Amino acid sequence: MLSLQKIFKWYNNGVNRTFVLKDIHLDVAEGEFISIMGPSGSGKSSLLNVIGMLDEPNEGSYTFMGEDVFKLKEKQRSQLFKTHIGFVFQAYHLIDELTVYENIETPLIYQNIKTSERKSMVADMLDRFQIVGKKDLFPTQLSGGQQQLVGIARALIVKPKLILADEPTGNLNSKQGEEIMNIFKELNNEGVTIIQVTHSEKNAEYGERIVNLLDGRIVMN
Amino acid sequence: MFKNYFKIALRNLERHKAFSVINIAGLAIGIASCLLLFTVVKYELSYDTFQPNYHQIYHVVTQDKFEDGITYNPGVPIPALEAFRNDFPQIITGSLFASYGSQVTVMTKNASTSSDKKFIESTGFFFADPQFFQVFQYQWLAGSPSVLEVPDNTVLTKKLAEKYFGDWKDAVGQFLKLDNKITVKVSGIINDPPGNTDFPLAIITSYKTLKANAQLYAYADSWNSLSSNFEVFMLLPKNVSASNIDARLLSFSKKNYVVRNSVKTSFLQPLSDVHFDKRFPNFGDHITSKATLWTLSLIGLFIIVMACINFINLSTAQAVGRSKEIGIRKVLGSYRRQLFAQIIGETALIVIFSILLAVFISILCLPFIKHITSIHEPLGFFNTESILFLIGLGAAVTLLAGTYPALILSGFRPVLALKNKITSATVGGISIRRSLVVAQFAISQILIIATIVAITQMSFVKNADLGFNQQAVLLFNANGDSIMHSRQQSFKQKLLLLPGVKAVSFNADAPSSDNGWFTNFAFDHRPDEKFQLSLKFADEDYFKTFQLQFLTGKPYDKSDTIKDVVINETLVKQLGLKDPQDAIGKEIRLGGGRWNTIVGVVKDFKTSSLREAIKPTLFCERKEYYGVTSIKLNSSNITKTKAAIESLWNQYFPEYAFTTSFMEDNIKQFYEQEDQLELLYKIFAGIAIFISCLGLYGLVSFMAIQKTKEIGVRKVLGASVKNIIYLFSKEFTILILVGSVIAVPVAYLMMNHWLQNFTFRIKMNVGIFLIAILISVIIAWVAVGYKSIKAAVANPVKSLRSE
Ligand SMILES: Nc1ncnc2c1ncn2[C@@H]1O[C@H](COP(=O)(O)OP(=O)(O)OP(=O)(O)O)[C@@H](O)[C@H]1O
Ligand SMILES: [Mg+2]
Repeated sequence: MLSLQKIFKWYNNGVNRTFVLKDIHLDVAEGEFISIMGPSGSGKSSLLNVIGMLDEPNEGSYTFMGEDVFKLKEKQRSQLFKTHIGFVFQAYHLIDELTVYENIETPLIYQNIKTSERKSMVADMLDRFQIVGKKDLFPTQLSGGQQQLVGIARALIVKPKLILADEPTGNLNSKQGEEIMNIFKELNNEGVTIIQVTHSEKNAEYGERIVNLLDGRIVMN
Repeated sequence: MFKNYFKIALRNLERHKAFSVINIAGLAIGIASCLLLFTVVKYELSYDTFQPNYHQIYHVVTQDKFEDGITYNPGVPIPALEAFRNDFPQIITGSLFASYGSQVTVMTKNASTSSDKKFIESTGFFFADPQFFQVFQYQWLAGSPSVLEVPDNTVLTKKLAEKYFGDWKDAVGQFLKLDNKITVKVSGIINDPPGNTDFPLAIITSYKTLKANAQLYAYADSWNSLSSNFEVFMLLPKNVSASNIDARLLSFSKKNYVVRNSVKTSFLQPLSDVHFDKRFPNFGDHITSKATLWTLSLIGLFIIVMACINFINLSTAQAVGRSKEIGIRKVLGSYRRQLFAQIIGETALIVIFSILLAVFISILCLPFIKHITSIHEPLGFFNTESILFLIGLGAAVTLLAGTYPALILSGFRPVLALKNKITSATVGGISIRRSLVVAQFAISQILIIATIVAITQMSFVKNADLGFNQQAVLLFNANGDSIMHSRQQSFKQKLLLLPGVKAVSFNADAPSSDNGWFTNFAFDHRPDEKFQLSLKFADEDYFKTFQLQFLTGKPYDKSDTIKDVVINETLVKQLGLKDPQDAIGKEIRLGGGRWNTIVGVVKDFKTSSLREAIKPTLFCERKEYYGVTSIKLNSSNITKTKAAIESLWNQYFPEYAFTTSFMEDNIKQFYEQEDQLELLYKIFAGIAIFISCLGLYGLVSFMAIQKTKEIGVRKVLGASVKNIIYLFSKEFTILILVGSVIAVPVAYLMMNHWLQNFTFRIKMNVGIFLIAILISVIIAWVAVGYKSIKAAVANPVKSLRSE
C-alpha cells in the first residue's frame, strides 16, 4: 500500500545538521498492523508525520497507493490523504470549541458530504463507540479515554484505509489502553491498515510486525 | 459547512468575551464615525443637486485684477444682465438680487393699513425675474413664474406664507409692505426648497419692483459698480460648452467693463462649485471647501484603519491560541482556502455585529451633528446610498481586517501547530504587529497635535486685541431710509439720556465685519493709487462708541455728508508715509469725487476676521447709508437698559421691527467653522486615542496571558514588581516614540497648511509636539498599567503550576 525509499530528514542547526531520519526503507502492505518502537527522540513521530504527509522529508521517495507522492500537486496530495488516512494522537487533538458530535463530523464537512448523509454516518460512529450520550458535550468535559474514543471515531468516520496513531494510549491508564487496542485489532480485522507508535511492549504485541527505530535508523531484528 | 463555521465563530466570540468586546467595540466606533462622516459629506455634496438642470447651470462671477492681487466677486454689474441676453440669445439668463435684513409687514385684507405683524427677513429676501425660474426649477403651488413679469408682485414659499398668513392657500391675493415702502401683492406660492440649497428662497419680488425702488436697495444700474448682491445665472444648452462661453465672456468683459486701476473679467462658475468655492460667497449660510470634506473623509479613513489595526493585532495575537484548532483541521483534510474562508467568515460575523452596534451609536449621535458642521437640517441614513456605503464599508473592513490574520492562521504548518510550537513570537512576525501599533500611535498623535494647534489658535483668535472695544456694544439693523434718518437725531438724544447708555453711533458697518465697501482713490493730488481702500461710513461718535484709539488728530465733526475723513495706520503705511502726522491736513479723493481733508489717524484695529490682513481703511460721514445703530452700554443692568431701548425704539420707529445683536456674538460668528473644526478634532482625537488604547489593552492582556510563565519564572528568580512593569511598558513606550517620529512632521505640515488660513496666527513650537507625545505616552501607560500590574503581582507559584 505504501513504500518509503531512502528517506532522510534533518534539521539544520547552525553549522551542524541533525539527522532525525536516516535512510529509511519501509514497505507496508494493505491490511498490516505495524507497531513502531524506539527510545524517546529516535524519530518515531517524525516518521509517522512523513507517512501521513504532515511533514516532508529532505530526501527520498514515497509511493502511496501507486502514486508517487512527491510528484503530486499539493491539492491532489491533500485529496489523496484526506480520503485514505485517519490520524489518532496521543494528545487526542480534539477541537475544544466543538462538541463531540461536531468533532466527529468535521472531516466529512471537508469532504463535502451532504448533511443527511453526515448525520447517519456520525450516528453510526457514536453507536459503535457507545458515546451517543456524550454527543453534545465538549472535549474538556470528557475523560482522557473518552476523548481518545472520540479521536478514533473521528479518524474512522472517513472510512480510511490507513490509520496512523502516535502513542494513542500514552495518556491513558492500562484498562483504557487495552480497550483502544482491542478496537484497533477489530478494525484491522475489518481490513484497515494500522501503523501505531508505542512505548509499550504489550501494546506492540497487538501488531503483526514491529519496526524498531534507533537514532533515526530502522534496526533490523 | 457554513453552519459549522458559524457555530464555531459564535463560540469563539463567546469564549474570548473580552477580546470580542474590544474588537466589536473598536470596529463599531470606527464604523459609526465613518457612517456619520459619510452622511455629512454626502449631504454637503448634495447641495442643489435636486435642480433638474444641475449640470447645465452656471453662475457668472467676476474677478478684479489689481497690480498687487485679484479680488473675487460673485456678482456682475447690473447692466451686464441685459447685455448677456443680447449677446447670448441662445442662453437663458436669470438673475437674483438679495437684500439682507429687509422688513416685511403683513397688511390688512384691503391693503389699507399695516398690521402689527412685522418681520425682519435676514435671508431669503430676493428680487428676481421670471427667467430665474426657467434656470432653476421649483414646484409652483399657486401662480407661475410669469407673475414676476409684473411690478409689485411677489412670490412666497409655502413656509413663509404660513408664517405670514397661517395657511398658504389664504396668502394668494393678499398684500405685504416691504421695508415700509413698497406694497406688493402675493401672486404665487412655491414649495419650500429643500435644506441642501444655497438659494434659500423665502420671498421673491419681481425685478421690476426693484428697478422702481432703486435708491432703497442701492440698485446702481451702472457698469462702474459691482455688488455681491446681484448675481446672474445661465442655463447653457447641452451643445454649448462652458469654455466656449468663458472665451466669449472674456471679450464681453473687455468691451463693456470700465478699466480704471484694475481689470474686471467675468467667467462661469458651475453650479456644482457654488457650495465649495470660498472665493465667492453664496446666498446660503455656509460654504464648505472641498479641503474640509477631504479632511472629514481622511479622519474617517484614519479611524477605521485604526479599528482594523486593532482587529489585526488582536487576531494575530489570538492566533496562537487557535493554532491547535487550525492544525487539527488541516490534519483532518481542510484545504488552506477553506480555513481562509472560515476565518474571513468569522471576521465578517464580527463586522456584522459591529455594524449593528454602529448604526445604533450613529442614531444616538445624529442629533449632535449640528455642532460639528454647518448643517442644521436633520440628517438620516436609512437611504440607499448610506446602506450601500455600510455594505461596502463592511466588506472593505472584513477584507482589510481579516485577510492578514486569515493568511497567518491558514498558513500554520500542522505539525508545528499540533506540537504547540507556535508562539506569539513566531506568528506573522512580531515586527508587523509592532509596525501596526506604531501606525496607530502615529495617527492618534497626528490628531492630538491637530487638536492642540486648533485649540491654541482659536483661543489666540478669540483673545486677540482687536484694537477696539467690542464689549457691551448693542447693534441693531434697519434698512436706512429717509424716514428713519429724519428721526435718528432725536432718537439719539433720548438714548443718551438713558442711564445705561454710554455712547450712540449711527453707521453703515461695525469695525470688524465681513462686509466691505471698496473704492479707488487718490492721495495728495497724486494720480489714483494702485490699491483700493475700504470705506466705513460712520458718524462722529463712532470712535467713542467702539473706543478706537487715535495716533494723531481727532474725529471729524458732525456732518451729514462726506467732509473731513479719518484713516487707519495701515493706509498711512501703504501710502508710504513715515509718520501718521504727515497725513494730517493732506487731502484724499474717493472715486472721482471731491477732495477731503484727513483730520485723524486711528491705530490699527482688526478690520475683519483674523483670517485676513488689516485693510487700508477710511472713515467718513454718509448719512444715507446709516443702517446700523451701535450703542455702547454700561456693563451692569444690560437687560434693563435693553428693555428701555426697545420701548424707545417702538416709540420712534413703530413701523420698524426691533432686532438686536451684540458685537461680541457677531465676532464669534466669524469663527463658527473653525470652532466646529476644533470640536471635530477634539472628538476624533478622543476616539482615536480610545481605539488605540482599546487595542493596547487587548494586546497587553494577551501578553500577560502569554507571559504568565515567563513572569512566574522571573519572579522566582527574584524580579521585583517594578522590573515586571518595566518589561511591559518599555516596548510600548518605544513604539509610541517611533510613532511620534512619523506623526510630528505629518501633523506639522497639515496644521501649518491650516494656519495659512489666518493672517494672524500662532507659531507651532516644540512644546505643542512634546505635550502631544507626553499625552499619548501617559494614556498608553494608563491603558497598559492595570493589566501589567496585575500580571506583575500575581503569585508565581500559581502561574507555574498551571503550566
Ligand atoms: N524542529 C526541530 N528542530 C530540530 N530538531 C527537531 C525538531 N523537531 C524534532 N527534532 C528532533 O528530532 C528528533 C526526533 O523527534 P521525534 O519527535 O520524532 O522523536 P520521538 O521518537 O517521537 O520521541 P518521543 O518518543 O519522545 O515522542 C528528536 O531528537 C528531536 O530533538
Ligand atoms: Mg513522539
